[in-house]
Amino acid sequence: MLRQKSLLLIWAGLQLSLLLLLQQAFAWWIISLFAVLLFYRVFALLRNNAAISLKWVNLLAGIIAVALLLNLRQAGVLHFMLQILLLAAVARLLALQHLYEARQLVWVHYFLIGCCFILHQDMAIAMLVLAVFLLNLYSHYRLFAPSGARLNWPQTGRSVLIILPLWLGMFLLFPRLPAFWQIPQANVAATGLGDSIDPGSIEKLVQDDSLAFRVEFDGALPPRQQLYWRARLYEDFDGRSWHISPLRRTAARYNAAPTGNDAAAAQLSYSVIAEASRQTGLFALATPNSVSGNLQLNSSGLVSANKPLSQRLSYQVKGTASPVLLLSAQEQQLNLATGSGNPATKQFAAELLQQYPQPAQLVAAIAEHFGNQAFYYSLTPPLLAGANSIDQFLFSSRSGFCSHYASATAVILRAAGIAARVVGGYQGGQWHPQQNYLAVRQREAHAWVEYLDNGVWQPFDPTAAVAPERVLNNLDDILPQEQRNLLNSGWRQLAFLQAARQQLMHLDYYWSVWVLGFDDNSQRNLWRQLIQQLPAIAASIAGILLLLLLIGGGYLLKRRAPAAVPPATMLLQRALHPVLQLKPPSQPLSVYLQQLAISQPQHREWLQQLSDVYEQAVYADKPQALMQLAALLKRRRLQIKQLRSSVKNT
Amino acid sequence: MLTQLHKVEQSLNQVILGKQQQIRLALCCLLAEGHLLLEDLPGMGKTTLAHALANSLGLSYRRVQFTSDLLPGDLVGLNIYDARSQQFRFQAGPVFSQVLLADEINRASPKTQSALLEAMEEKQVSVDGETRALPTPFFVIATQNPLFHAGTSALPESQLDRFMFRLSLGFPDHQAEHQLLQRDSSRSRLDLLSEQLNTDQLRALQQQVPKVNASDALIDYLLALINSSRHRSDMLPLSPRASKATLRAAKAFAFINGRDYVSAADVQQVFPYVAEHRLDPSSAAQESRLSQLLLQQTPCPL
Repeated sequence: MLRQKSLLLIWAGLQLSLLLLLQQAFAWWIISLFAVLLFYRVFALLRNNAAISLKWVNLLAGIIAVALLLNLRQAGVLHFMLQILLLAAVARLLALQHLYEARQLVWVHYFLIGCCFILHQDMAIAMLVLAVFLLNLYSHYRLFAPSGARLNWPQTGRSVLIILPLWLGMFLLFPRLPAFWQIPQANVAATGLGDSIDPGSIEKLVQDDSLAFRVEFDGALPPRQQLYWRARLYEDFDGRSWHISPLRRTAARYNAAPTGNDAAAAQLSYSVIAEASRQTGLFALATPNSVSGNLQLNSSGLVSANKPLSQRLSYQVKGTASPVLLLSAQEQQLNLATGSGNPATKQFAAELLQQYPQPAQLVAAIAEHFGNQAFYYSLTPPLLAGANSIDQFLFSSRSGFCSHYASATAVILRAAGIAARVVGGYQGGQWHPQQNYLAVRQREAHAWVEYLDNGVWQPFDPTAAVAPERVLNNLDDILPQEQRNLLNSGWRQLAFLQAARQQLMHLDYYWSVWVLGFDDNSQRNLWRQLIQQLPAIAASIAGILLLLLLIGGGYLLKRRAPAAVPPATMLLQRALHPVLQLKPPSQPLSVYLQQLAISQPQHREWLQQLSDVYEQAVYADKPQALMQLAALLKRRRLQIKQLRSSVKNT
Repeated sequence: MLTQLHKVEQSLNQVILGKQQQIRLALCCLLAEGHLLLEDLPGMGKTTLAHALANSLGLSYRRVQFTSDLLPGDLVGLNIYDARSQQFRFQAGPVFSQVLLADEINRASPKTQSALLEAMEEKQVSVDGETRALPTPFFVIATQNPLFHAGTSALPESQLDRFMFRLSLGFPDHQAEHQLLQRDSSRSRLDLLSEQLNTDQLRALQQQVPKVNASDALIDYLLALINSSRHRSDMLPLSPRASKATLRAAKAFAFINGRDYVSAADVQQVFPYVAEHRLDPSSAAQESRLSQLLLQQTPCPL
């Protein structure tokens, strides 16, 4: 029978915090159900009511399990597992009566705490999980500690200190094993760019301040005009919105690294830490040549993962700053479809084509058109409800966002017979010079155009023609105040909170680089470095050991210093070594010498002299006596030898 | 001056026969400014020794027989009202002398004992709030009767600790006692003892004792010896006062023997007399079991 009420309270609190940590996995009704059960348990504990009988708890748990099972399709297998696990823990706590049940419960808690990392990888959450873990550890200790035992903090601290290097070594050097089991995919809404783009879809993203990915460049930061992070190619146009081509979906599987057409183009090398987006699409600049790890790089220069990102992912890209090449005639064909409608746009395109037969000229003309005419960049454009939305935008509303301009430009180009497509991705990012990384947030989502010119997909950003600041600066800077307020609502305007948020973001960055990003590769590198620096490391360890030894030796020497044997005694002991072994340990040397003088009459004279000189040297601290002693011992070498033999004989 | 001291020793040896060792130790105790506890049967020559010491050194001598009704005032003195001068006059007690023989100290009440012991430690007495210095040198020879314990208050450990030496004269050997009996009277010889050394000379000798060299190694040996008594259950631990007394006694012993340095042999010589009554207050004076044990168990590296 478990009588420790405080333990039960600790577990109830622990399960409540687990409920909060895992809330992503639970529907609201499950959360409230579990919370009610837990609060009931706490209430019953405080009222000193006994545990609920096992029969009722089983019934209750059975009903909830069935409900969860019915919800399985909606929740997904992973979430269902977590729900069942937490249900088991809560139900066990409700009916907890025996010690062995409590022990099981503690282990289930450990497992649930570990599961928190499936849903979260943030540093802040990790700290929270650590706190919950420590709480569980404490309850574990309390469960096994003899009653009345107190936590011995100094000893605990010592144990932690001892285990710390081992733990660090395990983290850094223990081989990274592949996952023992597959985690089923959770049904969670993906974040980031969607599979289709229509005026308005990016708008929503722009109001999302969360991080999309972070980049660390091996060299210097490329100019902002080059920071077009390609993520999606929208090639299917239905007259209103753009979609990823179904052909592309199947063709995306073939893997041939795109070859840069321009050997002189700047080389780019950078590593990206992508946030968990629940999508496969990743990000790269211009033409990537190779990516690290298990990622796919398709011929159009898009990087994708094999399965949707459920965790942060770090990968490295090497590439060039040159535009991607045309793959096939089929691809060109695909990007010429203009769809139905938008007659005015097609008319406008035909007129432009007559004036500017070359694609580059045409694009320049479009840019000029956007720049000279009264086109506006706005986050709150009027709704384009009609069938010919491009016409409406180009000739009447003239106010829109990057996706409006990109889709209009692509349609004009296609109508003029130039293959063109809308590219979705991110533009720019916030550069943190001290921490040396670029943070790209969802609000930096962008759409631009790629058109075919001489077999090369040239990028063109019509938004830059309307609002060049959008490309060169932050979004914040180019919007009028009221629109900026739309972005920076509420507390975000407080400067110090902003700064604190920045600092937290940097901290989180280091966390993801050094802790989450520490994978097989980094470990192999570490091993390689360790092996390379093995002599240096061994030397430094030896040096440290030597230093410790010296300190310890010095300390011991200092402690032993009072007991040091005076030089006169050492001198005498060395000279008379075997004779002195017969001396009783408690007898002073001079007394023994005098005894010898009596028992060995033939040596009497010099032994008495020796005794006197020795006493002078050792007791009277006279330095000249020490010299006299040495001289005497030297002079009497022969007699000493005789003395030795005669003492041995007696 | 040392020769004069040796003359004192010689004349003392003529009065108390066959006790060279004890006489030397008693002189040593006097030189080291310590006090002496004699434990002996009556008639062994304690009083003679005390008296002879005082006479040969030219010191004033008083004897107090301690009894159970002896009051502190009887010892240190009283303020007596003088009716003629209508004033209180201090009547100095026997403690105001240079050599005080406290006979059978264990017969007095603890109150009187402690009054004496305070005087021994502080070299001054306080009467009615007035502090009076005792003459210098101030040397107490206290005697204890080991046999007759009825009606005695044994000195507690803390008070035994105040005595530097505890000695026992013991029976004289056959030859010495024979010689003793041949003489007419030792008392008359005692009166013949001339003053060999005056008080100033004695002071000068006493001041030379601390100057005797004690090397670091020797002090280490001494501390090892003292330390071996600590952390044991079969004896009381020796206090730092005991180690100080041992060193001072060893210095005095070396000084009497004409050396300006203390040797380990000196320490070993005086140690039983300094330590035994501190290690076991209930031991008899002629015993030195515990101190000999410590001497044997402590290796002497010198």
